[in-house]
Amino acid sequence: MSLIDTSLKVLVVDDMSTMRRIVKNVLKQIGFSDMIEAENGQDGLNKLKAADAGIGLVVSDWNMPVMQGIDFLRAVRADPDLKHLPFLMVTAEAQKENIIEAVQAGVSNYVVKPFTAEALQGKLEKIFANLKAAKA
Amino acid sequence: MLVDRDIESDDIDTPEEDHSINAELAELTKYVSMITSTVRDMESPVTTTSDQLPQATAHLNDLAKLTEEGTHRVLTLTEAIEINRGAMHTALEQLQQKVGREYAADVKSVMDMVKADESRLTDIHVALSFQDLVAQRVAKLVTILNEVQHKLLKLVVVFGIKNKNDGSAKQDEGRGGEMLRQLEASQTTALEQDLVDDILSEFGCS
Repeated sequence: MSLIDTSLKVLVVDDMSTMRRIVKNVLKQIGFSDMIEAENGQDGLNKLKAADAGIGLVVSDWNMPVMQGIDFLRAVRADPDLKHLPFLMVTAEAQKENIIEAVQAGVSNYVVKPFTAEALQGKLEKIFANLKAAKA
Repeated sequence: MLVDRDIESDDIDTPEEDHSINAELAELTKYVSMITSTVRDMESPVTTTSDQLPQATAHLNDLAKLTEEGTHRVLTLTEAIEINRGAMHTALEQLQQKVGREYAADVKSVMDMVKADESRLTDIHVALSFQDLVAQRVAKLVTILNEVQHKLLKLVVVFGIKNKNDGSAKQDEGRGGEMLRQLEASQTTALEQDLVDDILSEFGCS
């Protein structure tokens, strides 16, 4: 049985409209139905901080204008109200130093583009398994 | 004094030293002349390249935009197919309950085929993420080209290279210039099929 809580509202952050649409389609196939979009880290942060946001999962790109994904992640982890949010990075940045930087910034998991639906689902399973283990 | 005499003797050039300085000056003159000639040779290619780079950059940006538009079109179609597929699956589920045992297996096999298409459609969606990678690489290339252009413009300013518009620059455009012209032409003269059909019908060729 899947551990993924598909009832959560998901924030998909990517500067490319095609990627937002692709990620949303894959999430929809996994079972998510409540999803909103943001086109950069700053936009994402504003949406997370909105009073009625109620977002339970963030899926973000790294390379974006205005605010990069890594800075967005740091801002999320620095905010007491948002720091516990599961944060999945989906990015073409696959250098070892990028991954280390993301882990040090507190990323929940990391998917490299081009990815498969199975890879995305697998990473989400791990995120939710870790959340469950942390709660137990 | 002995020291003063030494200094005085240092100030007096011997014929050998004169010869050496003259030789060095001649060498330096030759070098300066060579640099001047090189800079002159560079004039045309530098001005041509400076002129071509903004166009090339614009075409790269167009490339990213075209792939983005194409990807959205494919996504729209596959999303529509997915909606149909979902509706078919639901209809087949209802049908399965209505038909007798005799046809249940047939309905089930059709349902399995319809279900299999769900992951295929998702695979198509995911495969379209190539567009994001293309756009990212194009963006990096545009940044590099902008930097090259900036450096070339610096050269133009530092060496006082001016475009004389005497036709020499055109000669140096080479294959790159020809390809850019073709790209320009395709952008400005390419017609939508509807317009082409209108024109054809005007000439009785529809």
